[in-house]
Amino acid sequence: MSLDLTFIGQIVVFLTLVFLMKKYLYGPLADLMDARSTKIAQGLAAADAGKEAKAKAEAEITEQLKEARTKASEIIVAAEKRSAELNEESVIKARTEAQQIVDSARDEVNAELNRARQTLRNEVADIAMIAAEQVVEAELDAKRHAKLIDGIVSSGFGNA
Amino acid sequence: MADQSHGDSGIAGHLQYWTLKLDESNPFMQIHLDTMLVSIVVAGGMFIFALWLKGRLVEGAPTGAQNFMESVVGFIDQTVTDNFPVKNPLIAPLAFTVFCFIALVNTIDILPAFLLGNIAHMFDVEHFRPVPTNDLNLPAAMAMSVFVLVLYYEFKLKPVHFCKELVMEPFTSLVPVYLRPFVMPINLILKLVEEVAKPLSLSFRLFGNMFAGEVIFLLIAFLLLGGGAVGMAAGFFVGLAWTMFHLFIGLLQAFIFMILTVVYLSIAHQPVEH
Repeated sequence: MSLDLTFIGQIVVFLTLVFLMKKYLYGPLADLMDARSTKIAQGLAAADAGKEAKAKAEAEITEQLKEARTKASEIIVAAEKRSAELNEESVIKARTEAQQIVDSARDEVNAELNRARQTLRNEVADIAMIAAEQVVEAELDAKRHAKLIDGIVSSGFGNA
Repeated sequence: MADQSHGDSGIAGHLQYWTLKLDESNPFMQIHLDTMLVSIVVAGGMFIFALWLKGRLVEGAPTGAQNFMESVVGFIDQTVTDNFPVKNPLIAPLAFTVFCFIALVNTIDILPAFLLGNIAHMFDVEHFRPVPTNDLNLPAAMAMSVFVLVLYYEFKLKPVHFCKELVMEPFTSLVPVYLRPFVMPINLILKLVEEVAKPLSLSFRLFGNMFAGEVIFLLIAFLLLGGGAVGMAAGFFVGLAWTMFHLFIGLLQAFIFMILTVVYLSIAHQPVEH
């Protein structure tokens, strides 16, 4: 039960074992674990950086989308305004044109009317001449009495 | 009972070492071959395991043995970094070796009490103690190594402070100046007792626990297994229960030895307070 040479032997065994364990088991394992934690830390950092970049990109995209949307709505507003203007312009133009058409039609109608009235007047004068010839049974010189007949026609058929 | 205890075949007989006496007259000049053999076999096994594991270490996700050893290494690394104010690359491997070696050696104790002894008998070895931690030499050797290491770091890191502490603590500040030279020897004696108590308690704690465990195994075997069928059955179950408890004690003692090693060394590493 007492200490003896085994004690010395055990010190040698123990110190040798410490040395061997440090060199062949603990050292490699600790190095490996360190390397792995470094790697994991780097990976996590990279993931964080990626996440940050993604968030940044997303923010940028949101910003750009917002800008684009604003621009689009501006464009739409301008276009609507423009189209309203165009519409109005075309309406005005159409109205003017219609007015012009109506006016020219009215002029034409008036001219036609006048022409018809003239024709009618001439025809009526001729008829009146014939009628008067028949009534007076005398030969009337159309040229001589034309003025007279015209006067009758205009007084009698003035409203024709 | 008394006959058994004192006879060669009794409990005391099983507590004899396989001894090689180099000098009959000097009790120091002998070697416990069983202690040396088993501890060298265990150490060699650890070394072979280390070489085997080293060859198949993977940097990626660890599996199997590597995973287990990494958790042990991580646990000890954590214990050491929790206790240590500075980084010393020797401490963690030392604590690791202490823990694994003691745990493995203690675990041999759960083998049936007479198994290795009977195997040894087949080789004409009269006495064989399978568990080296039951031999005071092994705990004492480890505790002494740790103690020498503690002294080494005390003298290396803060020689002046340590020497001052040896003679100035704890009484110097309590007495008048003219009495200080007289209390210095008392301080030195107290301090030496304090320092020597460290390896003593470290080695005797482990030795006592493991020795007592083995004695209880032997008691169970002698008292119960000889008493017929009922005794055999009772002995089997009591032995099984004690095996489990002893397994736990073995792990616990390995942990205590490891953590005290770390703590003593960390005290030596504590920076000097001004």
